[in-house]
Amino acid sequence: MTNSEISLKRPLTPIHKWLIGLLLLFSFVGFLDATYLTVQHFLGSSINCSIFEGCNEVITSRYASIAGIPVALLGALYYCTLFISLIAYCDTRNERILYFIAHFVFIGFFASIWFLFLQLFIIKAICFYCVISAVTSTMLFVFGILLSKFKKKENK
Amino acid sequence: MLWLSASLLLGGVVFGLIKFSNNESNQTALLINTISSSDSDWVKGAKDAQVVLVEYSDFQCPACAFYFSLLKQLDQEFSNKIQFIYRHFPLKQIHVNAESAAWAAEAAGRQGKFWEMHDMIFENQATWSSQKNTEDIFLSYAQSLGLNSNQFKIDFDSNEVKEKVTNDYAGGIESEVNATPTFFLNGQKIKNPSNYDEFRNIIKEAIDSNS
Repeated sequence: MTNSEISLKRPLTPIHKWLIGLLLLFSFVGFLDATYLTVQHFLGSSINCSIFEGCNEVITSRYASIAGIPVALLGALYYCTLFISLIAYCDTRNERILYFIAHFVFIGFFASIWFLFLQLFIIKAICFYCVISAVTSTMLFVFGILLSKFKKKENK
Repeated sequence: MLWLSASLLLGGVVFGLIKFSNNESNQTALLINTISSSDSDWVKGAKDAQVVLVEYSDFQCPACAFYFSLLKQLDQEFSNKIQFIYRHFPLKQIHVNAESAAWAAEAAGRQGKFWEMHDMIFENQATWSSQKNTEDIFLSYAQSLGLNSNQFKIDFDSNEVKEKVTNDYAGGIESEVNATPTFFLNGQKIKNPSNYDEFRNIIKEAIDSNS
């Protein structure tokens, strides 16, 4: 990368740095959580579930797969995409990526609401790892929205 | 540099988790010694069935309690076509009450109510798992099943009952059981099905191919 390229990038304000840092952190935690469940799914192991007792009920329920694809794998791909997009934004400062992130976080947030509803009212068991995912996707949603709002303000 | 760090981080997570999960299931095997195998099994279902499902299980393991509900459904659906065998594999290093629960089931079995106690122990797993004095809890289960309390206590403390559990455990080690529950279908270790339909299909296939 040349100096002239660097000079084209607008520097990030401290608040942006914080928000991107938090988004990176939560997308990484979400990825860790979903990847653990995906690995356990493909290795056929039982889930180490010490806080809530309902992990295995939830993870082996018929809602744990969509068209044969484990929801955990979809979650891992979601968090991975978000993490890579954030890295790409840090690297290029391309506003389109930010626009994509601000919209993409809606998917995770609404999916989490749906899965929380399934756990509480349909399966009637709570999975600790799914609660972690619900928290991370909610945080990503909040910080994603905040980041795009601040960016819009700055651009005005 | 940024991309390289991110790729290494994500790749490291996947690799680390796969390695960790493999180690975790091997650890249970390392905790145990090898002794001789067991010969007196608890059996239910069809006596002359061509399909035999053996389960190595731990009463305190949450996954075993989950599979207990699946096995109950399988029993209802295939009770005249399949034989179920329960063998103890208490992982006492991580489940402090698993062994006493196995003794309670064996003691109830001495009075002809192994399966009733087995069901009761699994159904109430959340109640007794974290308790310190489980003997009184299991005694209350024995009483509710109409068992002779004194005889139950004698059997619970007996060497025969303890030996039976130890022998089951040793048999599991010989069969390379390293996690609970582990299922053997007609002598073949199977990958734990992830839901009832998957389990049902495995059993149905075995019944069809043996009929």
